[in-house]
Amino acid sequence: MIFTKLNAKGKWLLNRFNIPRQTIALGLLFGILVVVFLAGRALFVPRSFGLYGHYRGDAIKDNESLAIQFAGSTACADCHADIFDLKAGSFHANVACEVCHGAAADHIADPGKMKQSAPRERGLCPLCHNYNPARPTGFPQIITDRHNPGKPCMKCHNPHDPKPPSVPAGCNECHRAIANQLAVSPHAALDCTICHDVPETHKISPRQNRPGKPNNNNFCGRCHAKPADTSTNAPPAAELIPTHRVEIKTHAGRYLCWECHYPHHPEAGP
Amino acid sequence: MHESVADIAQIISGATGYVYPNEYLLQWGLLIVMYPFLTGLVAGAFILASLERVLGIKELFPVYRLSLLAALAFLLAAPLPLLAHLGHPERSLEMFLTPNLNSAMAMFGFVYAWYLLVVLLLEIWFDYRKQIVIWSREKTGAMKFLYKILSLGIDDISPEALRFDDKIGKFITIVGVPSAFLLHGYVGFIFGSVKANPWWSSVLMPVVFLFSAIVSGMAVVLLIYMVTAWFRWKKPGMACLHKMGELLLYAMLVDLALEMLDFIHRLYESEESIHILRDLVAKRLFISLIISQVVLGSLCPLVGIVFARFGKLPDEVRRMLYFLSAMLVLIGIYSVRWNVVIGGQLFSKSLRGLTVYKTSLLGMEGLFMSLGLFILPFVILYVLVKIFPPWTGNEESAGETAAPS
Repeated sequence: MIFTKLNAKGKWLLNRFNIPRQTIALGLLFGILVVVFLAGRALFVPRSFGLYGHYRGDAIKDNESLAIQFAGSTACADCHADIFDLKAGSFHANVACEVCHGAAADHIADPGKMKQSAPRERGLCPLCHNYNPARPTGFPQIITDRHNPGKPCMKCHNPHDPKPPSVPAGCNECHRAIANQLAVSPHAALDCTICHDVPETHKISPRQNRPGKPNNNNFCGRCHAKPADTSTNAPPAAELIPTHRVEIKTHAGRYLCWECHYPHHPEAGP
Repeated sequence: MHESVADIAQIISGATGYVYPNEYLLQWGLLIVMYPFLTGLVAGAFILASLERVLGIKELFPVYRLSLLAALAFLLAAPLPLLAHLGHPERSLEMFLTPNLNSAMAMFGFVYAWYLLVVLLLEIWFDYRKQIVIWSREKTGAMKFLYKILSLGIDDISPEALRFDDKIGKFITIVGVPSAFLLHGYVGFIFGSVKANPWWSSVLMPVVFLFSAIVSGMAVVLLIYMVTAWFRWKKPGMACLHKMGELLLYAMLVDLALEMLDFIHRLYESEESIHILRDLVAKRLFISLIISQVVLGSLCPLVGIVFARFGKLPDEVRRMLYFLSAMLVLIGIYSVRWNVVIGGQLFSKSLRGLTVYKTSLLGMEGLFMSLGLFILPFVILYVLVKIFPPWTGNEESAGETAAPS
């Protein structure tokens, strides 16, 4: 009865305002789409969304209620002081124990019940030490497939005091990325020590004994000034570069040479 | 982004100058090249259709519906390269549920939805409504059921109702033109607003993208029209081809002028990036920019279209010239997308070095995936043409003739 009345009323409205029927059907369809969209929003968007920012506000409470898994970087020292002190003086000083041994809160609470894992296989160390060009220069990197394949890292390196098993023979052992670029650059003939003052102890304690770097434009001018200094102090490659000579004072102004020219791979063209 | 050690070694050895470590490997590959290419085809095909509808260019009548269906097919396939590149396609819905109003990409989701739901589908529905009702009466079985659903239960095809359909269709087209401009202007906007990248950062980028979109859309519709005509054993109408050729010529001239303007502006401005950009063009993009984009993709088709339209040639030769020119235009516009997307990642932000890009064949970012995503819209178009045959039977008046058997 009520539907018949509504139908009659609808027809009257359509005729009264001359509304085409196809627009009514489309309007209904779009209306349904909008309702589905709004219902979807009400259903799927958490109520606390946007409370503090563009994220679910309750996420903070969720994180607060999580059980604490990690014990912290100094908790191990109470019982394992010898290993802790050894590591504190090593290259791994800033690598927390739990990075390799896993979360230790349960172990601290009851050492007898919960034992920490000690990874001895080959897979863990390459997470940090596999070759990746994005890693900083000097950071020890290997190509895992080629570096003593199949041999566990711990056979040669003590993870609590990691050192190369032998003193590196040359700069390229640690500075591989720079060495690769230098090898194909016009500076390939130059030995690293021409520009860098490298103490012998740098190979054993690289961070405590850092190599020197040129600090003024006159250093580059030894080869690249016009005219170049060909006295006995000049490096042996001076005669190999008849071009690339500039008036050092006027060419660079207040800039340093290496602010525009990368010394390990300078421009090849004239 | 799962290159082997050998690939990485090859890329690093191919790089020159100083490249920051995180710039050796490109983050955006073939799929991101395909995305602006496909959206460009959408916008271009729609704008071609709207020329017939809004400006009343009657020569384009045979391609009006084909253009709309092509735009829809490309629009349905266009987001797939992005979703395939990002992974987790289900997360894209969150952009609609909890949109970040400050994100151009998030807002574009709504532009996309508007364009699909309000512009393209509505225009096609109003344009086909009469046929849908007729087919829902004539067809049998599943097709009858499908057309019944598509008619939304409205079977009124009285002259008043059809007049209303025509009026509202025209209105939607008028609204649709700025929407199509937005659709592709946005893609250029995304690249143009990356201020750290001197190859991309330009206010002209959205406009250049838009006109290259119009060029590519017209070219692809021209090709689709010729191929579908041959499959129907018809000769493509010369009046329609001439008009499309003319419009393509004008759009290409504007596009070329804008690109030259951008180029000259960069040269004259001579910012600190000009040296690396010169190296980029000379050493990395010479084939894809100078040869493929400028010579093959712009100059050759310009000459081809001028000869086909204004030369004294037999119709068969004209058709062949149009076909070849449109193919070259598509190759040229794909090269534009390649040069923007890949080119913009080949030089270091240090402005002192260039890296290299190595295309893989297999995998999500590989050549075959990209090819598949390019073929997909044509499959969708085939299905759409089966459901909504765009030929009304009046094409003969537009110059189409039956091919001699």
